Amino acid sequence: MIDSYVYVIIALLPLSAFILLFQVNPYHALVIRGILGAVAALVYGVLGASDVALTEALVGTILAMILYIVAVRSSLVMRLGILAERERDKESYLAELIASVRKIINRYHLRLELVEYPNVEALEQALIAQEIHATCTKSELLEPEKDSKPYETTFRVRRLFEIMETELNLGTTTINYRSIPPSPP
Amino acid sequence: MNWIIIAMILALLIPIYEAWQDENIWQKMLAFASISTKTSIIMLVISVTRDDWYIGVVAAIILSVGNGGLMLLANLLKRIEKYD
Repeated sequence: MIDSYVYVIIALLPLSAFILLFQVNPYHALVIRGILGAVAALVYGVLGASDVALTEALVGTILAMILYIVAVRSSLVMRLGILAERERDKESYLAELIASVRKIINRYHLRLELVEYPNVEALEQALIAQEIHATCTKSELLEPEKDSKPYETTFRVRRLFEIMETELNLGTTTINYRSIPPSPP
Repeated sequence: MNWIIIAMILALLIPIYEAWQDENIWQKMLAFASISTKTSIIMLVISVTRDDWYIGVVAAIILSVGNGGLMLLANLLKRIEKYD
């Protein structure tokens, strides 16, 4: 005969699975996945499958978590190429621009990674080689007019460009899209 | 003995609610640690009430080495917070 508390314990499994389903942030989902693994191990143990419970706790939770961590870390990132500049050239415009870009992509659960390149040619080459998703350079106007924008941001990812075009309302940068053909295999 | 286990399950619902409601990632991690410990303790109690030592051994192993995923996740989150 099955004790009545077993039903209550089994009911925890769909409960935590539903909580996992409604997570939006991938990192929160990782944590809830761990909770689901712990509850599943409890359910398997209570139902008498101790070997399955041990496998779920050790392999299921840890291995699944390692794989998901690798996937989330390597994919949810936007790499922005900038020029490695000397200290005196660093203006507050660029810091402000990077801060607002970071704020926007944080809403989409992305991370911003800054990649520095020594000159404009290397930056262009990296964009074409698809090492980075966007570049941010100074405009090439020698005499900046009054309403001109001192920075130029070029995206090669269409969706990032659309997000930035609608949400980045800074007066300091122009936003361009450049389609780059996929590199031959 | 059933009421002890029912009370433990009710106590387990508290961190589950916390993990669902709280938007702070570290609070979720705390709830995760709490839940994984509580589930192992519930398994231990059940193994004693049923006099089934096989479940008890598994519960002890899960309790002692089952938190590796938590440690990895905490390191990952710490690195990400350093970036921002």
